[in-house]
Amino acid sequence: MLIAGVAERYTDLVTTVFSSTIAMKAWFATAALALAGVQVLTAARIYGRVNFLPERGPAIARVHRWSGRLAFVCTLPVFFHCVTILGFQTPDARVAIHSIVGTFLYGVFVAKVLIVRDRSLPNWALPTAGLTLASLLLVLWLTSSLWYFTTVRFGF
Amino acid sequence: MGRGWRPILAGGAVVVGVFALAQAQVFAPSEPAAAPTTTGDAGRGETVFQENCAGCHGDSGQGGVGPQLAGSGLHAAEVTSAVQQGRGVMPAGLVSGQEQADVVAYVVSISSPSQ
Repeated sequence: MLIAGVAERYTDLVTTVFSSTIAMKAWFATAALALAGVQVLTAARIYGRVNFLPERGPAIARVHRWSGRLAFVCTLPVFFHCVTILGFQTPDARVAIHSIVGTFLYGVFVAKVLIVRDRSLPNWALPTAGLTLASLLLVLWLTSSLWYFTTVRFGF
Repeated sequence: MGRGWRPILAGGAVVVGVFALAQAQVFAPSEPAAAPTTTGDAGRGETVFQENCAGCHGDSGQGGVGPQLAGSGLHAAEVTSAVQQGRGVMPAGLVSGQEQADVVAYVVSISSPSQ
């Protein structure tokens, strides 16, 4: 059956590069968090809250947009494994927090994208949505990748 | 209802959709996959165990965050199922393929009650 073999084929594909599917998720989540950091920094520069980056302008905006797109792409394989294979689980506090926060991630992402395109909303709406999204990613990383790197192994 | 609610409503709909998808686990194996056809090497499995399992189960399988494996009398099918499906807080798929066969052979060797 097509669906029955998806998990096995996915595992085979992932393990051609990584030691396990968990390792793949840990590293993709780390990349997404790093790019989210770029998002926060470039957004802070666009809003004039930091001055150590190059001057505001098209380049910063371009870096902001592309770091966001790449961060989104990095979350997709993690989403596939976590949501469609593992599902919502609550065996302990770490996994429960990870499941609950993970459920909200794409909802906040969609809200943020819609807020970007809606000029009629108050000025605080976009930074609030962006910081919420980055915070959710941080919590997800702390409850998965950091746990994996410190408890299981630090490697690919 | 003002336009300001649109992002919240759309985001809420996505949250509900993701939760439903997570509950469905559409690509989760419906039953434990067949036991590996390759024979595991307990010697290589010890290395795999030290890299992937010892953090929770202890260097000698004596237990720690995870349960004790040494002397626990586990069978290969039980170990294989735990590795493939996960168990409790242990995530599924920490190792796969030949590494899985090797680590299963090692765990079975140390879980023998005579150890």
